[in-house]
Amino acid sequence: MTSLGPLLMKELVDLTRNRMAFVPVVIAAAAAIVMPFLVVVAIPIASGHSLGSDADLLKVSVVTGIHDELGPDARVQYFLFQQFLMLFLLLPITGAMSLASHAVVGEKQARTLEPLLATPITTLELLVAKVLGALAPTLAIAVAGLVLYFAGIALAAPPGVLEAMLTARTFVLVFLVGPASALVALQAAVVISSRVNDARTAQQFGVLIILPMTAVLVAQFTGSLWLSAWMLGLIGVGLLVGWVFLVLFSVAMFEREAILTRWK
Amino acid sequence: MTFDVARGEIVALLGPNGAGKTTTMRMLAGLIEPTSGSVTIDGVPLTRATGNAVRRRIGFLTEAPGLWDRLTVRENLRVYAGIHALAQPDRAIDRALDMFSLGDRSATRAAELSKGMRQKVALVRALLHDPAVLLLDEPTSGLDPEVTRSVRQLLEERREAGCAILVSTHNLDEAERLADRVAVLQTRLLALDPPATLRSRLTKGRVVVRIAGDLEPYLIVARSFDAQAAIEGTAIVVSLPEAERDTPEVVRALVNAGARIVEVRAEMPDLEDVYLRLVRDDGGRPEAPP
Repeated sequence: MTSLGPLLMKELVDLTRNRMAFVPVVIAAAAAIVMPFLVVVAIPIASGHSLGSDADLLKVSVVTGIHDELGPDARVQYFLFQQFLMLFLLLPITGAMSLASHAVVGEKQARTLEPLLATPITTLELLVAKVLGALAPTLAIAVAGLVLYFAGIALAAPPGVLEAMLTARTFVLVFLVGPASALVALQAAVVISSRVNDARTAQQFGVLIILPMTAVLVAQFTGSLWLSAWMLGLIGVGLLVGWVFLVLFSVAMFEREAILTRWK
Repeated sequence: MTFDVARGEIVALLGPNGAGKTTTMRMLAGLIEPTSGSVTIDGVPLTRATGNAVRRRIGFLTEAPGLWDRLTVRENLRVYAGIHALAQPDRAIDRALDMFSLGDRSATRAAELSKGMRQKVALVRALLHDPAVLLLDEPTSGLDPEVTRSVRQLLEERREAGCAILVSTHNLDEAERLADRVAVLQTRLLALDPPATLRSRLTKGRVVVRIAGDLEPYLIVARSFDAQAAIEGTAIVVSLPEAERDTPEVVRALVNAGARIVEVRAEMPDLEDVYLRLVRDDGGRPEAPP
């Protein structure tokens, strides 16, 4: 994997020079920070109805487990802040999807792929660099957003909510499930990118990959699904194993010859 | 087709569009697998297992420069220096840039370079790791004469350094000036010879001998070398299969016969005539399967 470093560096330098590509990610991160506080803090204050007085919300929040130390209002806030956390997991996926979709087909269209393939790089190095190159900057934005999110909770939520948030479950979600699901989604996008001959087609297919994530998000919001730290840990490990298989699959699916000779 | 390129040799690959020049180049670079046959680069047979080892020995200039526009010249080259695991990448980059006097452009983004500059940087990239074999697809295509000359000089230097160089080109003049041998391709190899041999093998050279006074007495002498020798204006024109070898004999015979020679001029067919004839003559043949 000696070529992975230079290839990854190229991806990162290239992306940092294309700052406009990150504007939608920054906007999405800002929305992911602002929206929860609007829903959880601002609207209840403006309407004069505390969240804890809503019987349905209280009932749904029980799914998070019993938090006797939290009052009704704080418990619902905790429940909602936990749900909105999922938005930050989607950020690296949605933000990097267009970059990953564009990865191979973009190089081909810019005619930069052929000289690269004529060097002693392996397909594995090329494809992993593409995924990590797309993931790293958006993941960094997501992490920065998360820091602000937790800082906001510390400032705006009642005492105990932040402490309740800082659990093993949250850490597994943020540091394992999030990056692992992004790796799977982006690797799949790179597979698609190396099989189609047009960046728009790649992106159209790439969007489909976020559907399962959205389903999990919706299920969590309705309270019909609550995954424990253990369950999330297993899912995270499963996703990483899936990513490894997907990497091997993407290497097998990458046909240098077809890309160079049949793509126009 | 079967051909080889020796160390310290430049072979030019000529052929019309669709003749298979780029495909041949890509096969040699290990980008396309041959449907049959084999490729050996610097003594290493090209297989899936040896692909990367072979590609380390090759510098490949593709048809398009293929630079990353948002990266500077140095950054573009640094990626390739890293891939080739050069011990002192910046020193190698500086040295390679100096070959084309591009040192002052190292911090310029590729998008801001002219077409000629981009081509030069692409050439620098192909030479960065000091490869034993250079595969150059249309290296001077679209370049101005000055840049073309510097590219040609560079290739001559690489040849002197022992590099085996295969150049695909449409530029017959360039092939003639640069190449030790010329390979004419039209889905198959039609010819592979030094330019002079190719010319003499396929066409006769015309020798124009201008003689003072009456030409008629000397026409008989000329026709002993070429039955079709004729008078054109104030000169006798003789067609010779091997003009360089036979011209002194013709001149000696004419002088011995008393001719007062004013001028002897050899009119060799250029490579374009040879190339067109080869390709035209092959036109009726069925095309080889792709």
